[in-house]
Parts: sequence; C-alpha cells; structure tokens
Amino acid sequence: MTTCLVVDDSRMIRRVASRILKDLKFETSEAENGQDAIDKCRIDMPDAILLDWNMPVMDGLDFLKELRQDPEGKLPVVVFCTAERDVLKITQALEAGADEYIMKPFDSDIIESKFQQAGLI
Amino acid sequence: MSAVLSLTPSYYEALKQLTLELAGVKLGTDHAFLIETRLSSLARTEGFDTLKEMIEELFKTGQSRLAVQVVSSLLERDTHFNTDLPSFNKLYDVIIPQLQPIHKNGTIRILSFGCSSGQEPYSIAMALDKTKEEYPNLNFEIVGVDYPSSALDRAKVGRYSHFDVQRGLPIQDLITYFNKENEDWTIKPDLKNKVTFEETHLLSNLDQLGDFHVVLFRNSLPHYSSPAQVRVLRGLSGLVKPLGYLLLGSGETLNHINFGFDPITHEDSIFRKRPEKIEAEPIDPNIKVPNGKKTFDKAKRKLRGIDEFTNAKPSQTQTG
Repeated sequence: MTTCLVVDDSRMIRRVASRILKDLKFETSEAENGQDAIDKCRIDMPDAILLDWNMPVMDGLDFLKELRQDPEGKLPVVVFCTAERDVLKITQALEAGADEYIMKPFDSDIIESKFQQAGLI
Repeated sequence: MSAVLSLTPSYYEALKQLTLELAGVKLGTDHAFLIETRLSSLARTEGFDTLKEMIEELFKTGQSRLAVQVVSSLLERDTHFNTDLPSFNKLYDVIIPQLQPIHKNGTIRILSFGCSSGQEPYSIAMALDKTKEEYPNLNFEIVGVDYPSSALDRAKVGRYSHFDVQRGLPIQDLITYFNKENEDWTIKPDLKNKVTFEETHLLSNLDQLGDFHVVLFRNSLPHYSSPAQVRVLRGLSGLVKPLGYLLLGSGETLNHINFGFDPITHEDSIFRKRPEKIEAEPIDPNIKVPNGKKTFDKAKRKLRGIDEFTNAKPSQTQTG
C-alpha cells in the first residue's frame, strides 16, 4: 500500500485529508509541523507527502528544502497543500522540489486529480 | 423531494422530451435536481421570478431563443482539463505524428466538438504548444463548438475558477499558461489566440465550420439517442478531411456503421477517414429547430398526457 504523510498544523485538515487519502487506498500518517515531519521521515520515509506551507516551528518550504538534501528524501512525491495562491509562491515551491501543488480549499476530486498528476494513482 | 423541487413531474418529462427533440440527448430519470438547479439560474438571468414561470412561458409561447437557452443549459457538461487521458494522449502520441509528414510546413485544423466551457480545446492548445520544438514549422488551428450557452461564453473569455484549474491541470501548466486574476485564472493571450469558438446547433448542417484534419468528439456519444448518434456522426464525417481523424472517448465506437471511417488497428477510439471523398448523406432539411411547431407539440403532448394521467390517478385510486 502506498504511504502518505499528511503535514498540517490544523488537526481538522489532517483528518479530512487523511480520510480522502484512505478512500484512495493510501496508508496515512500525520505530522503537525515541518520538524515533526522531519522526525517521522527519519524513522520511516513515506512514498508521498501532502504538505502545508504556513506552520509553527518549521514551515513547509523549509521542511521540503531539508528533505530534498537527504539522499533518501529525494524519493517521496511531495504535493504542497496550502492557502498560498500567488504565482511566485507556487514557483518557489516547485523550485524547492515540490511535484504538485494544491490550493486550499480542496475537495476529494482535487486531491485525486493532483495525486494522479503526480503519478501516485 | 417536493419541498426542494418546484416543478411537477410533467414539466420534467416535457423538458426531457424537448431536449431529446432538439438535441437528440436523453436526460436520465434522475435529472430532476439537475434540471432544477441549472434552470433556476437561467430563470433569474432571463428575468423571471420563478423557474415555473419561465417554463410555463416557454411552453405557452414556444419562444425559440428561450428554448435554445433552456436546452443548452441542460446540456452543459462538467468538463475538466485533460479529461480521459488515455484517449486524449492519442492526439499527440498517434495522430499528430501521422499527420506531420504530410503537412510539414502547413496548418493542421482541429475541432473540439461539444466543447462546453472550453477545457478540451485549451488542453489541446497546451499539449500542442509543448510539441513546438519537435514540429517547429507546423501550425495548428483549434476550434471549439457547442450550443450557445453560458458555458461557451466562459470558454470564450477563458476564465476559470480555483476549482476548475485544479482538476486535470498540472501545476506547471497553470503557471505557464494562465494569469491569476483575483480569485480566478485566465488563459494567457498567446494561448487564447490559438483557439476560436463558434456557436452551433450540433445536429444542424455543419458545413459552415469548414473541414478539419482532426475532430475530437469524446465522451458524449452515449448520451445521444440512436437516431441522433447516426445524425451527429454523419455530420462529423462531412467535417473530417480525407485521411483525417475522428477521436472518440475511451471505449467508444462507431456502432457498426463506418460513416466513411476505418478504425486504426490496435488503437481504441481513433478512426481514420478513407482517402476518397465520401459525400455524407444530406442532413434532413426538416431538422427540428427550436421554433418548429412539431417539436413543441410533441413536448406539449408529453406535458398534457402526464398531467391528465396525474390528475386522473387519485380518482381511480379512490374508486378502487
């Protein structure tokens, strides 16, 4: 089963996204900020990461940059999922190594479509 | 259900009959809610206080412009960018590579038939823009056609919502081909200029559209009644140039009539026009048009018949 780490400081968003991903046959785990996600990736690197941008402790962009420096961290497919909709922000995320980008608010169709675009489905 | 829906069942039946008569499309039995939501919005735009008022006016006067608006609203499809990828990818994986040696420095004309809000023709334009290096001297003309509707108006403007651009569109394509305007995204002028849109009755004589090297008619055929399928495919046959292509949706076929096409071996959903120019059979000059008396009479009969049945039923039950 494909594994996906859902990283978001909102428990509600984590719960909604995890439910959608479970319906799409993903095995999910959760982290509440970038540092928590780094710790979880060191223990068990997931196949995919659904990543919020603005979070306390470590934000999504810093997490992604650190992840991609790790040789193992080049492998997970990273899909940003954020309220940031500015073209410059999107470009910044792609340059840092994001594979796809979801603009909140999202629904199950959008997650499915974006995970298809990223080759995960 | 009756608390939410404002029209009686007889009106739904009459509207379904009108859609079948005018557009050859069969609306399903579960379309009452869709009819209600789509037409409520149209009723407001048309200045009616209620949906019922608009529908009563439609059947009372047989106003052709309103009939077209009503049927067009009912036919609007929820389309996505790059929809049905297995079929869509065949355009540039199979068809363009076969046309390129013949039209090296020429122009390839592509028609998106039933383009709704324009995601298909713009998806074609984006896909072909990425082949510029491979085919530097090849030009493309992309035309989208559909019934006049608010969906087609959106296509002409090329403006899409936050939700529209996140269905089927890779993020890289969004930032390459769109500009952000407030909460919406609009197609950049360079790409928009490659696509034109025309309003047409899809079952009418299509000669004015010219002819095309490729016609895409995907994921719509099953919604048409059998006679309408024959009519629409015959019309499309007349639009495809000899040795041009018809691309249907995944798993769709021509249903045992070849219409002057041959299937491409090992390629589901692609059909190639035979080299000789086969004249399509003339379209019936008595094609049903919105102000045609027959059309309204048929729909009205449906309305009256069901009303009579509905009115009669309680007394029959009481008698029993």
